[in-house]
Amino acid sequence: MPDPTTNEFISHAIALDSWDLSLAAGLVLIAGVVSLLLRLGLEKRLLIASVRTVVQLLLLGLVLRFVFEPTSHWLLAVIVAVMLLAASHSAVQRSDTRFPGLTLLALISLAVSAMLTTIVVTALIIGVEPWYQPRYMIPLLGMILGNGLTGVSLCVDQLLTTLRDKRSHIEMDLAMGATRWEAARDPLRNAVRRGMIPILNSMSVVGIVAIPGMMTGQILAGADPAQAAKYQIVVMFMIAAATSLCCIMMALLIYRRLFNSRHQLRAEHITRHTG
Amino acid sequence: MPVLRIEDLAVTADPRSDRPLIAGLSLTVGRGEAVAVTGPSGCGKTTLLRSIVGLIDPLNGTVTLDDKTPPVVGWPTFRSRVCLVPQRPTLTDHTIQSNLARPFNFKSTAGHYDPDRARALLDRAGLSDEVGRSAATLSQGQQQRVCLVRSLLIAPDVLLLDEPTSALDSEAVKLVEALLANEMAERGLSVLIATHDTTQAQRFCTRVLDLSPLCVNKKTVGEPAHA
Repeated sequence: MPDPTTNEFISHAIALDSWDLSLAAGLVLIAGVVSLLLRLGLEKRLLIASVRTVVQLLLLGLVLRFVFEPTSHWLLAVIVAVMLLAASHSAVQRSDTRFPGLTLLALISLAVSAMLTTIVVTALIIGVEPWYQPRYMIPLLGMILGNGLTGVSLCVDQLLTTLRDKRSHIEMDLAMGATRWEAARDPLRNAVRRGMIPILNSMSVVGIVAIPGMMTGQILAGADPAQAAKYQIVVMFMIAAATSLCCIMMALLIYRRLFNSRHQLRAEHITRHTG
Repeated sequence: MPVLRIEDLAVTADPRSDRPLIAGLSLTVGRGEAVAVTGPSGCGKTTLLRSIVGLIDPLNGTVTLDDKTPPVVGWPTFRSRVCLVPQRPTLTDHTIQSNLARPFNFKSTAGHYDPDRARALLDRAGLSDEVGRSAATLSQGQQQRVCLVRSLLIAPDVLLLDEPTSALDSEAVKLVEALLANEMAERGLSVLIATHDTTQAQRFCTRVLDLSPLCVNKKTVGEPAHA
């Protein structure tokens, strides 16, 4: 079996050329023709989305090829920082309810949970030397952040909506002598649960309803399916751990921000953004 | 000796603003006494009660319970001893019993939930013995009385009541006033009522404080609260 830390591991892949990519584009063309015939009006959006897919992924490929070369730590740090900033911004933008400073809290939660989990996986589970080898660290971090930001946005939306809409109930508890923790406990618990639902659903049906993208990619790239399955298990556990950690961190940071030491709920900071 | 003392209080409805709604309010409530604060809608009665229990920060002034400030007593303990009953009833969709027992999940609440005392108080409040019924099926007036009973079960020293009989008919008003009078006589409960009903204030309370002269933004006085 090839060593996963060497290039031999990926050398079994059948190389794709421009002709292969053109054929794949033909599949999208079928969708475009169907759209035209049925007057769905999706052709323009389909074309833009296809062009974006090609440009973004080819660029990503070029960037990753460059990054995967022995490179400076500074460049790696910049790439990781950009990924974290983009993920935290996206997590907050996806939530309809927000308050000032929320992006910073999302950045802290995502950075701590994603970096911690990535380091555990690269250093201890896969055993990469050094642990920050870009070929491993960046794709893993990307997968964690992609799932983590969905969890965070769901968690934030659920928590802030509850704190805003159920303010009178929470303040009633506070008025009867509840501590801020006692008053916030149920909304916090429900928000963390909400953030965890997508990954729990994925874990329940993985391998039955769908073969995960990463495992499919590995198999197509020539890896042994059993080995790809082991990698997928690690990935699922890694995503579950990181998502739960960042949802819990995010909920606790919001709790600290919106419930002060005088056991007040500062719900007036919460605003709703629609559209 | 007053159980609740309020000195030079200035309050604002918007925590982000430093513009006072009421300023220079001083008031004492003795043990077993009922005091009313009156004034037209929008003059700041609700904001005053919320500020006394610290759900919003007052701009100025102090509140003490038995000469101790809330940070000394601890905010949760202070609020279990000076208990606010808001005008709008706030109950969960669970049973009446579950709602009545809820405060006993909190660390600051002394003692345990006593179902017999709960039934006795519900009877006196004119609510039939249906503690197993969902609170969501009750009328607003019934919910208002369940909220009052829930606060009485905690056995606070002071009860802050915000328009406590606004959703009640005259018979229910009599029952609630009798229930409160009984708690005041038996336990030495003190009551501070915010009401626009001056007749009730004069009938039930030993002292009445009109907030109108203390209201800073007099333009709002007389306008509906939710205009």
